[in-house]
Amino acid sequence: MSSSVTTAVKAATLDKIRQALQDRPAQIAAAKQRGQKVIGWLNYFVPEEILLALDAVPIRVGTGGDEQLVDIGARYISTKNCVFVRSVVGLLGEKKDAYTPLLDLLAVDASCLQVFRLAEVVKYYFKYETAILGVPRSFAAPEGREYFRQELRSFTAELEKFTGRQLTEAKLNSAIELLAKIREALRYLYEYQAQDYANLSWREVFEIVHAGFYLDRAEYLKLLQELLAELKTLPVDKNKIPGLQPRVFLTGSQLSPGDVKLINIIEDLGGQIIGDDLWTGLSSYLDIQVAAPTVDALADGYLARVPHAALPYLDISTDSRIKKLKELLQKFRAQAVIDHTLRYCDPYTFKAGETKDILNNAGFPFLEIHTEYASSDIEAIRTRVEAFLELVRTRNDVAGGI
Amino acid sequence: MAVKEKVFQYPETIKADFIQTGGLRFSDGSEVSAEEIWQFLTVEAPRRFPHAFDASANSIGRLSDDVHFFAGLKRAYLTLTMKDRLFKAHDNGVPIVMIQGGQTLDPYYAAGGIPLRPGYVMQWARDVQEGLNLRQLDAAGLEILEKGRRKISIEACNQVAAHAAVANNIVPVDLIAPYLCLRCSDMSFLVETHRYKEDQRPKYLVDFPINQTGKHYTSDYVAEQLRGLVKEIAKLSKKEVTDETLRREIQRQNKARRLAQEIIELWWSAEQPPLNSTDFFSIPFLANDFVGDPEATIQVLTETKKEVAYRVEHGIKGTGVADKAKRVFVCGSCVGPNATSVERAGAVLVGRDDNFSCNSVLVKEDGDPYRNLAEAILSFPYELPTEQRADWTAEMVKKSRADGVLFMYNWGCNYQTSVGRMISDIVKEKTGKPSTFVEVGELGRTEATEQSENRVEAFIEMI
Repeated sequence: MSSSVTTAVKAATLDKIRQALQDRPAQIAAAKQRGQKVIGWLNYFVPEEILLALDAVPIRVGTGGDEQLVDIGARYISTKNCVFVRSVVGLLGEKKDAYTPLLDLLAVDASCLQVFRLAEVVKYYFKYETAILGVPRSFAAPEGREYFRQELRSFTAELEKFTGRQLTEAKLNSAIELLAKIREALRYLYEYQAQDYANLSWREVFEIVHAGFYLDRAEYLKLLQELLAELKTLPVDKNKIPGLQPRVFLTGSQLSPGDVKLINIIEDLGGQIIGDDLWTGLSSYLDIQVAAPTVDALADGYLARVPHAALPYLDISTDSRIKKLKELLQKFRAQAVIDHTLRYCDPYTFKAGETKDILNNAGFPFLEIHTEYASSDIEAIRTRVEAFLELVRTRNDVAGGI
Repeated sequence: MAVKEKVFQYPETIKADFIQTGGLRFSDGSEVSAEEIWQFLTVEAPRRFPHAFDASANSIGRLSDDVHFFAGLKRAYLTLTMKDRLFKAHDNGVPIVMIQGGQTLDPYYAAGGIPLRPGYVMQWARDVQEGLNLRQLDAAGLEILEKGRRKISIEACNQVAAHAAVANNIVPVDLIAPYLCLRCSDMSFLVETHRYKEDQRPKYLVDFPINQTGKHYTSDYVAEQLRGLVKEIAKLSKKEVTDETLRREIQRQNKARRLAQEIIELWWSAEQPPLNSTDFFSIPFLANDFVGDPEATIQVLTETKKEVAYRVEHGIKGTGVADKAKRVFVCGSCVGPNATSVERAGAVLVGRDDNFSCNSVLVKEDGDPYRNLAEAILSFPYELPTEQRADWTAEMVKKSRADGVLFMYNWGCNYQTSVGRMISDIVKEKTGKPSTFVEVGELGRTEATEQSENRVEAFIEMI
């Protein structure tokens, strides 16, 4: 892991998490032997609570950064799809990683429509069993909420049939509580890493989040709680001088496990990433309130959280995504925003200009970066990020910083 | 040395016969005589819209050479007068609504609006300035397209131009209210771009729930949103819209859908194609888009049916169609090949999944009209899950006796291209017909389109 952002005191639990990740494929294979179904899911709205309550093993599918998988995927889907989508088609087609050969079913919600197409393509070409969860574009309207409730009921019934298990209130309640605790722990870690003398970097938190895509959720919570306890015992690194590095917030398209190009560039050039609102990062763990152990309450809870950018919202003055982004920038004391968009990721790309304008007006320097998983754009991105960080440093100096 | 453009003209020799066909009546009660249509097409329009009469260039929207197909002349009249009719309607308080291609228009007209798909918005915007030749028209269109790309993204398909035309008030669109997620993923994001610094223009979305088959609640959801849509339009038109109003509009538009189905079946039944590709492809467009006026359009479709029936009966072939022309079925996103160049290469276009889909479903006329509309749009074959859509496409390919399938898409269209290979593979497996993909990168251009034309011609050569 290349990074200029380091912490002098390392939390030992991090290594335990890494080890657990190493052991996880064998554990899942054993669970399959015992009759548990392994359900991979993609996008933003698939409630893991349902999968857990049905005794399935949930895996959040999708890696990034591998150019070869992109090429393979493009043979089945289109070169006009974003690289993540192409890469995941390649991943699911190749089945050479530790997890995809274990999948019994792929559950996909239709927030990003390219990912919905991905599900159709891998079902047809690679014979994956799939379950689709529709997501309303009119998500703020009462009829949209009702549609999503019905859709989640139908999706649950499909999964009940597939797993051969009945959803019970008790199991759903346990799953809701478990995931609520995980979310709470992750939110705390995000806040912790943004502190001046933290013994954990954003990059490590991001790695921990991604570990949670695969680990047994109960074991994951135990490890998170262990980490939280350990962090309280670690000494403060007095040699660290806060404020030397520009505090960068990452927004925009998702960064999946393995997609580290931009992260490496920012950190190599002396930027300190201190937060994100990526849906493979913090965003998935924010603001989900499930009021009761029912499918309808889950539907309401998922729909009411900060919306995925693929869902249109027409009144900018009440757009909770923008509002939340501004809140997070304040909370994490961001000095600059890098908006990352994957080529052909329309929801984020089309919004980038508007977001830039709004954040510029709110006083945040903003850099828009488009990337693919190819290595050919590294130097071009490096130049842009370097110039941007230079500008932020100068701005901080003028403002009386370091 | 300036190159003189070849100019298309309607010959005086057809005038007397054309006059016999009578004029057109419009939805607002006004009428135009055949003499006035003739005068417009031969004197006024060539002066005001010279680009439309360019016979030498590769204009994808050029007028048909089949001057003996008189309903085709009336279609040309509707197309070329669209600008005047839209400005007049707008000035009279009729709300102009930007929508999506391929959706039902019944609620829009029932509520007193005029819906326009992005292609028509762009046509209107380009025609605001008159007297342009084809090259000047292209330049005007590209300037608008670039405005959109600069504001939004270069990764959008060419419909970004229509949004730019609205955002920059080049044309007075009163409401943006498309259906979403049917056929296009860009539309929702493009509508959203109007929320910033354009607060004054109302917007409304009708969600199209994918994964819709076999679920009664998807109809409830869409029906509820259609009710909201009608209210939103009626706020602007000040029209009282009852269920009966909508039912009457459904009946009227079913007439158009039925006529389109009948004409297509007639055309397919003929040994020799009775209309050329330009005229044939205009039929589903007319029945689904109405060029801003359902009343006049239905008349044109009625006359089209009569003329096609006559031609089929007498073995008359459409002008420009080669003997033993190879038959090409078109799939994909909202773009098609240049019909003239296809015919030059010895082929004829026999079908198109996109437009045929929305004409293939009649809306039930009794009962709750909102629910009926919802059920109809949710069953459009083009919008079904891809495997089901491909099965329907394969049936169309068989019925149209196509020799090959052309999957075309616009640069930036990631929702349709993603299933291009899958549809082609399924259709190939079920019909044994070859297929090819053509990406159209020359967005909004009528010149320098050789890249896509060459690929189409090579495919025709191969079949």
